[in-house]
Amino acid sequence: MIQPSPSPREPLHPAAQELPARPGGLASYPPPERWDDWVEYDPVAWPRKVERRYALIPTICFNCEAACGLLAYVDKQTLRIQKFEGNPQHPGSRGRNCAKGPATLNQIEDTERIRYPMRRVGVRGAGQWERVTWDEALDDIAARIRAALVEGRGNEVMYHLGRPGHELVYLQRVFHAWGIDGHNSHTNVCSAGARAGYAFWHGMDRPSPDHAHARFILLLSSHLESGHYFNPHAQRIIEAKMRGARVCVIDTRLSNTASMADYWLSPWPGTEAAVLLAIANLLVRERRYDRGFVRRWVNWEEYLRAERPELPVTFEAFETALEDLYARFTPEFAAAESGVAAATIVDVAREIANAGSALATHIWRNTAAGNLGGWQVARALEWLVVLMGAVSTPGGTAPSAWNKVVPAPPLMPPARKVWSELLMPREYPLAFFEMSFLLPHFLREGRGKLAMYFTRVYNPVWTNPDGMSWIEMLGDETKVERHACLTPIWSETAWFADYVLPMGHASERHDLMSQETHAARWIGFRQPVLRVMQERAGKTFPSTWEAHEAAGIGQVWEEDEFWIELSWRIDPDGSLDIRKYFESPYRPGQKLRVEEIYRWIFEYSVPGLPEAAAREKLTPLAYMRKYGAFLVEDGVYRTHETAPPARDLNDAVVDPVTRVIAREGQPVGVEVDGQPRLGFPTPSRKLEFFSSTLKAWKWPEQAVPNYIQSHVHWSRIDRARGEMVLLPTFRLPTLIHTRSGNAKWLYELSHSNPLWIHPEDAARTGVATGDLLKVATEIGWFVDKAWVTEAVRPGVIACSHHLGRWRLRDDTGGERWSTALVDLQQVAPRQWKMRQVHGVRPFPSDDPDSERVWWGDAGVHQNLTFPVHPDPVSGQHCWHQKVSVSVPGPDERYGDIFVDTEKAFAVYREWLALARPAPGPDNLRRPLWLPRAFKPHPDAYRIP
Amino acid sequence: MIDQRKCIGCHACTVACKEENRVPLGAFRTWVKYVERGSFPETRRHFAVLRCNHCDNAPCVTICPTVALYRRPDGIVDLDGARCIGCKSCMHACPYDALYIDPASHTAAKCHYCAHRVEMGLEPACVIVCPEQAIIAGDLDDPTTTIARLVASEPVQVRKPEQRTRPKVFYVGADTAALTPRLQQPAASYMWGERPAAELDLVRMVASAPMTDVDGPRSRPVYDAPHAPRPWGARVSAYLWTKSIAAGVVLVASLAAASGALRGAAVADPLVMVVAPLVSVVFLLLTTALLVLDLKRPDRFHYILLKPNRRSWLVWGAWILLAFGAAGGVWLAAGLLHLPTVVSAVTVPASLLALGAAGYSAFLFGQAEGRDFWQSSLLLPHLIAAALVAGAATLIVVDAAWSPWADLCRAVLAVGLVMHGALVGVEVLRRHRDHDAARAARLLTRGGYARRLWVGVALVGTAAPLALLVVGTASPSATLDVVAAILALAGLWLWEDLWVKAGQSVPLS
Repeated sequence: MIQPSPSPREPLHPAAQELPARPGGLASYPPPERWDDWVEYDPVAWPRKVERRYALIPTICFNCEAACGLLAYVDKQTLRIQKFEGNPQHPGSRGRNCAKGPATLNQIEDTERIRYPMRRVGVRGAGQWERVTWDEALDDIAARIRAALVEGRGNEVMYHLGRPGHELVYLQRVFHAWGIDGHNSHTNVCSAGARAGYAFWHGMDRPSPDHAHARFILLLSSHLESGHYFNPHAQRIIEAKMRGARVCVIDTRLSNTASMADYWLSPWPGTEAAVLLAIANLLVRERRYDRGFVRRWVNWEEYLRAERPELPVTFEAFETALEDLYARFTPEFAAAESGVAAATIVDVAREIANAGSALATHIWRNTAAGNLGGWQVARALEWLVVLMGAVSTPGGTAPSAWNKVVPAPPLMPPARKVWSELLMPREYPLAFFEMSFLLPHFLREGRGKLAMYFTRVYNPVWTNPDGMSWIEMLGDETKVERHACLTPIWSETAWFADYVLPMGHASERHDLMSQETHAARWIGFRQPVLRVMQERAGKTFPSTWEAHEAAGIGQVWEEDEFWIELSWRIDPDGSLDIRKYFESPYRPGQKLRVEEIYRWIFEYSVPGLPEAAAREKLTPLAYMRKYGAFLVEDGVYRTHETAPPARDLNDAVVDPVTRVIAREGQPVGVEVDGQPRLGFPTPSRKLEFFSSTLKAWKWPEQAVPNYIQSHVHWSRIDRARGEMVLLPTFRLPTLIHTRSGNAKWLYELSHSNPLWIHPEDAARTGVATGDLLKVATEIGWFVDKAWVTEAVRPGVIACSHHLGRWRLRDDTGGERWSTALVDLQQVAPRQWKMRQVHGVRPFPSDDPDSERVWWGDAGVHQNLTFPVHPDPVSGQHCWHQKVSVSVPGPDERYGDIFVDTEKAFAVYREWLALARPAPGPDNLRRPLWLPRAFKPHPDAYRIP
Repeated sequence: MIDQRKCIGCHACTVACKEENRVPLGAFRTWVKYVERGSFPETRRHFAVLRCNHCDNAPCVTICPTVALYRRPDGIVDLDGARCIGCKSCMHACPYDALYIDPASHTAAKCHYCAHRVEMGLEPACVIVCPEQAIIAGDLDDPTTTIARLVASEPVQVRKPEQRTRPKVFYVGADTAALTPRLQQPAASYMWGERPAAELDLVRMVASAPMTDVDGPRSRPVYDAPHAPRPWGARVSAYLWTKSIAAGVVLVASLAAASGALRGAAVADPLVMVVAPLVSVVFLLLTTALLVLDLKRPDRFHYILLKPNRRSWLVWGAWILLAFGAAGGVWLAAGLLHLPTVVSAVTVPASLLALGAAGYSAFLFGQAEGRDFWQSSLLLPHLIAAALVAGAATLIVVDAAWSPWADLCRAVLAVGLVMHGALVGVEVLRRHRDHDAARAARLLTRGGYARRLWVGVALVGTAAPLALLVVGTASPSATLDVVAAILALAGLWLWEDLWVKAGQSVPLS
């Protein structure tokens, strides 16, 4: 052990003599009361003491879903943002950030960013652009939308986005006001599998683990490096670990998270449910679970009545039924399926049993996004939570919605009687949610066309499977008549737009955020700090883009104002009944100002905020502008045990069998042991071990937590013939999908996505680290380099999904920090070939760093070679691929890609055939109770 | 203090530092290394946050010639770019890879514990960004602080304690292999990133000379930030060579003068009077030019004299070279003016200064604490031997092959070559106590430098001239002498180059 040594030697530098010792310790952040005017020394001039004055304005990070707080240091003299630190007032992130937080500065200062609205010249996708005014763009787009609405073609207007926020409610206002069912998301290439699994349990589609108080943390995710919600969750996981909690990570590849865990289980991809059900089976057989909780809160009576009518409706009978049902799920069976040692499975089961109700779990993408039937993995995982009575307990796992706040905006339009079959086709009545990634195939099948298609911070050409089909779709102006891309940066999709409309980054827009980061409820306020800063100095701006132009970053706008402006132009005289939703609640008949929306929300929809603001002698809006976040409620536990609101119990009826309390036909609670309780938003108001919905909607064999053998189950892979499974989904702690390509500090850290391959497979294939591998999928192939590693299971190759960005022209169309210049050729009808011309290179710009780019690799774009694999229940694209791995031929180079979209269409049809289409009971398109984004009017659920 | 029990390897500190201090691409003040060990499914990855250690006994502060680097009373080792001349010696003094040359200012830079924030009462940027609060800042001398409490109560490690730098970055729960480069295999690429081309050549070379007998099982580095490889290049090797010549000719000429005096002969021979001092002054000027040109801020050369750090051998070297140059100048002037008494008087201080000029580099390289191979007790005699070889060989080439001093020069060259050869042999073949020194020697004897060492230095540069000199004793030939001298000079240059390169070829972090 080394002890700190005593006094240092005499300093030499003159500056060192002048230093007085600092009394007291160091603070982490400037105190909020001095945020208005804070002095720091210029870091570059140091040790010369050059003072710089800043205003510290909070906002919200935009680089993942977590919505962590940021504090922008705006230089009062230059009006430039010097840096972003964490916002110590933010309850989720608590002043801390991951690498992507400070990298926001790169995005703001990016020399490649889009600064003005642009319109395509010539053929779509040819890469010729002209600058237009916002007025020109708005008028054209508004006219097209108006025509579609007036002519009853409202469903031809589609808005497709990657990253929502509070906009989910904001946009629901917009699209319900317009009377369309036009919101499309990225969810089905991301989280639909896990969402479905959770929703069939408790009606809410995500977990909210209370990691900080857990005794055992079971992750089918990599929350120490990525995921919803990386930084806030990682803080609390390690907090628990330092207090003695044990951590188990189930992930086929060794993530950083798995490396920090006490147990790393690396199952064959898609066999996780077998492992989890074996654990559950052990807990049940040994009666080491919370029988009281299960008896009270699981719909076991419904299960017995429906599935085991021969048994008495007693809890003991249910336990027997469980033992029958899961008899085959022994540790040995799970070990044989997964490759994880049976003893390890038993060890983990023991740990879970010891943790009791302090069992925090999470699954987000991982196996649920990779495998056919992945949604059942989430269901199996939640079964453990339910068994341990760890639902919404301290240290347990709550349903997401109880740990969020979604404040109502002013004047919400009613749900409309519209249903878009391009979004929610009848083949996928249970999908979570829109079948977004099938759009090119739907249009190819003639299911419709789009008069106006928006993409916003969404890059389907690159992100989605089968991007070449997207290029074919976007290239066809009869299918997509107008495409506007709302984006802060260039992307592969923006290249195929008619309008590229610059929208702001994290600190350049308004948003209201709330995420289920822990057992609390909070809101965070994203704001355009340069506008706020200038308005504090007394200037006023009609719009955020004008404020941004005055601050020198170009006509960069924000969506909130864009939609208001567009809606006024769609319905200038109010005759379409749209305009009224975009009028000020404070100035009747006047156009809504963006700050009025938030002012209204903060005044009327956030409990406790007006009082907290009043204590500081601030208006609610001023309070949020100053602090950027507000904790609505802390320590939120066992919400299901609360009584329904008294108003709901008036005239309520209790079902004599199910004890569900209903009012006006709507379930509002459930009687448990004679007491009215809120319960869960499911048909039974209980945790649905048995889902009558799944049974009624043609999936009786999957109505209880079950194990579905994946499309990449080991029995389908012949390794001797070079067949392997490709895991293409994992994230890095430093990047975020396709919107961090403008962050030089992040790409400097991570710019390669080699194929992880186990030494055993590498030896069989005859490759070493750095050698090229050709990976053939059902529809094409790509060439990447090998990374030979002990961190992946034999028989499986893995490749991060972040890298492989490309651009088609050297000087524009892609961030040169992160993209390779490629040559894209259609070599035959529906056959595409891509070859890298060169990788990342130094380039001249106003930022001297661009000449210092030292890396050349941009990675390889694997998603292009993946066909769509829609899970027939959840609608999730099942990312994992059965591939053939070989050494490439002499003419094949690093980064080469070949795709046949005809084959892609054929694979789509194969998977489509697995679906069990609507109608369900009552001629419905979808169960009425099941969550759906932008829920239309119930009438729209009925198939005419 | 870095609490590796909590660190998740997320690189937030890396980026927050870049943002706070506007660190350019290609440079890092703090970075995260990943290493892996074990076979599937027992594989584990370990992280280590690496940066300046703010050593109590900071070698970078000692070697810095202009007090650009300094230690503040609060323990922060800070750097004043305005005083830095870009000599890169700190990059060799630091055993931790903490310093780099900023591409914009061309001066050294490193973590300075966000001294500009500490002045305002704020913690460093890496501390506040860390999601896990795994970086703990504070006053080690105040027992009430978290950091002092942790250091007192938890087992802690430091990087390379054997360097006796008294590092002030303590690690809790760190993986020893992640902190210790000698426990890591060479890696040509990483799991998410490339290594710069310049590093890659070095990696391949190091990989080519495994030390399985010494190494034992090593961890696999799977992620690291780039570092400037081999900051000192051909100019530094050339400087050693030109300096050997400048010093050597004066030593040999002084010997000649002394032996002439012994034999009662006049010193008035042109070799002693003019040729030797002229050659010395010319090569000294070349030496100075090389030194100045090797600075990243040659415009600040004079700072060595105006803002000197008297503990730095760079400064002492400058003074010695200055004095040596003055002595050489007097000698040359006296020679040109035919003042033999002055010349013979000046040979004594001049030869003493020549010894200093030749030998001071031993102390300078000795201050390069990061480079164990250079920390050799044989370096001083070796530099003297090199000066004798260089001096005698140069004089043979220039003049002496035909002069009365030819025998003396041949004798000195032969003796010098034998000494040099023996010292090279001992230097590369002996058992090195320090791993890095052993690895550098291995690179020379069996690695990427081996061909150049055995063929170039040993055979062509040492054995061959010695053989020619032996042949020359039997049948004297000026041509043979000149060829031997040229081979010896070439061999010496090659050796200096290999020695400078090999010393820098072992990764510091």
